[in-house]
Amino acid sequence: MDTRRVVRQGVPLWLLVMLLAGCTTTTVDEFRQGETGIESHQSIVILGRRQGSTYETREEFVNCVGDRVARGTGAIRVIPEQEFVDSLFPWFEPRTAPLRTSDLQALMEEPLVAGKIQEYGVRYIVWLDGQTETTNRTGSISCAVGPGGGGCFGFGSWEDDSNFDARVWDVSSFANVGTISTDATGQSYVPAVVVPIPLIARVEANACSSLATQLQQFVNGD
Amino acid sequence: MLAVTGNNMMTGRRSAKAVMLAGLLLLLGACGVNSLVVEGNYPTPAVRKIPLTLGLYFDEDLRNFLYIEYTETGQEEYRVASGQTHVQLFGSLLPAMFERVVVLDSMDDASDAGVDAVFAPSIEEFQLALPQKTRLDAYEVWVKYNMRLLGPDGAYIADWVLTSYGKTPTENLLSTEGGINDATVSALRDLASNFTLSFSAVPEVRDWLASKQTVVTN
Repeated sequence: MDTRRVVRQGVPLWLLVMLLAGCTTTTVDEFRQGETGIESHQSIVILGRRQGSTYETREEFVNCVGDRVARGTGAIRVIPEQEFVDSLFPWFEPRTAPLRTSDLQALMEEPLVAGKIQEYGVRYIVWLDGQTETTNRTGSISCAVGPGGGGCFGFGSWEDDSNFDARVWDVSSFANVGTISTDATGQSYVPAVVVPIPLIARVEANACSSLATQLQQFVNGD
Repeated sequence: MLAVTGNNMMTGRRSAKAVMLAGLLLLLGACGVNSLVVEGNYPTPAVRKIPLTLGLYFDEDLRNFLYIEYTETGQEEYRVASGQTHVQLFGSLLPAMFERVVVLDSMDDASDAGVDAVFAPSIEEFQLALPQKTRLDAYEVWVKYNMRLLGPDGAYIADWVLTSYGKTPTENLLSTEGGINDATVSALRDLASNFTLSFSAVPEVRDWLASKQTVVTN
């Protein structure tokens, strides 16, 4: 079959798929348990939960949320996760990190810990917990190379589902002041007519963006 | 247009030979053992210092600790040297936990060094799980240690076992060596946190600290 004809016939399919690939559904829920607000000299730290045996909250997602919370009109000063964890070593390691607000209260009785947290001006500790799972992988793509050239043909798709919770602890009252949950799903496609075209749904990026926007408003008390 | 002279042809042949030789070496290299010296940085613990002087002794087995990972056919696949990074870890950990730390070349030097006790760690077991074998998306390292605390005269004070675990996801890495290195550093960091916070809770250590009239609440 003539390659140009295949490409021509494939173009409408690509356009349709590209339109569909843009579809990511994101849901954000907020559960407020206390008043919030932050002053300009105060900061927050966003930490990933890594106690689970089946998954760990990815450092990249934690950094993504932190970067976005620190930007824009309601920007909040965010202490980088690794800097905070190293500075307070060994109290916030996966094996030793406080799991409840009462654990944090007990930890703050340690003068070195309380001093460092005060030094950073940390008002809220945000615990991020979650992961992105890939399911429903379907299709196949075959590629071949010959003396006259090479190419691929086929179609692959999969679904990504990002589920993350952000629990906000008020360091001044040792209370959980709220939880923000985000659930983002999206379908990715890779049609291949001579050349594979990956049409990736930015599921985790959307989850990060939505969660960060809501978290920023929540902490600012908007 | 390219004109090829006799000299250029000679150079071309030499280059082709060099490329073939490099290719051959690469192929041979792929069949050999991959050696790795673990390197990492460890944070200093934010804990209250115990007002005692500790001697720190690393025996040759710890200093030169080498783990060898074998293929399914029994061939050496990876040689992981983690002795020096263990020395580095304890060297940064213990001075943050004790008022004074003296590194001893020999256990015989302890009594002259004026130490209250000597700490001598050893590695009992080291396990490595590679994603190509486990089919998981992570490099994992598990280490079992025997921690010994001895009097300056070599008398027994305490002897306890600690385990540490570290993993690193495959998605972060470019090479298997990088994965093994990061998982080992993660396991050593886990050891450091566990050791720091559990040290004074070991019954024999607690009794020894009490005998020295030192109470540690970490």
